[in-house]
Amino acid sequence: MKFVDEFRDPDLGRALSEKIAQTVDRDRHYKIMEVCGGHTHTIYRYGIDDLLPGNIELVHGPGCPVCVIPMGRVDDGIAVARRPEVIFTCFGDMMRVPGGDGSLLEAKAAGADIRMVYSPLDALRIAKENPDREVVFFAVGFETTAPSTALTLMRAKAEDVGNFSVYCNHVTIVPPLRALLESPDLRLDGFVGPGHVSTVIGARPYEFIPAEYGKPIVVSGFEPLDVLQSVYMLVKQMAEGRCEVENQYKRVVPYDGNPMALKVLSEVFALRPHFEWRGLGFISQSGLRLSDAYADFDAETRFDVPGVRVADPKACQCGEVLKGVINPWECKVFGTACTPENPIGTCMVSSEGACAAYYNFGRFAREREVV
Amino acid sequence: MSAPRPTTDRCDTEGHCITCSDEGVPMRVETSNAEAGLAVCVDGDGRRTDVLTALVPDVRPGDQLLVHAGTALLRLDSSTEAPA
Repeated sequence: MKFVDEFRDPDLGRALSEKIAQTVDRDRHYKIMEVCGGHTHTIYRYGIDDLLPGNIELVHGPGCPVCVIPMGRVDDGIAVARRPEVIFTCFGDMMRVPGGDGSLLEAKAAGADIRMVYSPLDALRIAKENPDREVVFFAVGFETTAPSTALTLMRAKAEDVGNFSVYCNHVTIVPPLRALLESPDLRLDGFVGPGHVSTVIGARPYEFIPAEYGKPIVVSGFEPLDVLQSVYMLVKQMAEGRCEVENQYKRVVPYDGNPMALKVLSEVFALRPHFEWRGLGFISQSGLRLSDAYADFDAETRFDVPGVRVADPKACQCGEVLKGVINPWECKVFGTACTPENPIGTCMVSSEGACAAYYNFGRFAREREVV
Repeated sequence: MSAPRPTTDRCDTEGHCITCSDEGVPMRVETSNAEAGLAVCVDGDGRRTDVLTALVPDVRPGDQLLVHAGTALLRLDSSTEAPA
């Protein structure tokens, strides 16, 4: 398929692999974080790490939106979903995320009307088809997904669909990156920057990373050659003593983003003072709520959400995994008590979670042999 | 205008949840209704979906769009080439 096949060419992959090997300083250890869960998936699906020199370590960041949802927010969603008048809608992976009191999937099995959708527009369609029910959409995701929720809300408002509301858990990418850079137990040499988030916000918002923290970042596409080329661009910057924002994904990412999308976001959403991230704690101005103009569609006010806060399970080390402090297979419960079939932590739930990626593609076995 | 819904429990056949991973998918426009702000698009596996097109001007049949969570984020450039 066009835009896909040409970025999976094995000969080009081998050539990039050789260029990376020729560029790295063999006496140096490189710790590079891929921010986005989609990159994590690509790396382990295509064995990108096997094509890199041994002194390049890829660290998996907090860019899986499912993985960063705290248990309390799941519990709040379930509380809304259990109301008899509610049809609760959400994306597929969100169904299995464990809260303190089970998952949405378990609540569905117990009788709650919870339906999986592929877009917020699907949820709005359900609302129009069920005017006697309250339809709530569990909105998750970074700036890539938020425009879809925003456009759907604008449509709901224009069409006066009064039985539709949004339980908003959208987050923004820059504040957690800053929090990671401030973390004393994490030392990174550079970032493979998010691709499709940057389609919306552009590459400019990352300029603080080289300017204030002295780390290079390369915004990257999601195909195997994209990720390999981005790693090459990072090590080339370091070899040449440069430190800047580069855009590997120019075919998709304009440096200043999509102005129409940014306008829609600013109209429909406002920043929360702070938002809790799984494993990372509260990060100021990192979450979105509905703006005052759309407050009537806010499920949190419509249904008096309990606002519970639940500590992560003690055995779960998702926080350390999300910060790249430990590798997934180093978690005490990885592959034993915590599996994709029975996840304890969110990193094992989504196919983009670092733990699930390791588990599903068998990397953990090789790594354990090494250890 | 409506399109048949996908039947798998994942967003693509590779077991990869595109919606949740904040990743877009290239889709080709089959029909476009500018007044409604909607287009029917088809992905590489032949699945059809209604797509909101308010963020991309002048969407026409045959255009390649980057679609995420049912919304077109941009038009893909036909001159795109793989890295050398």
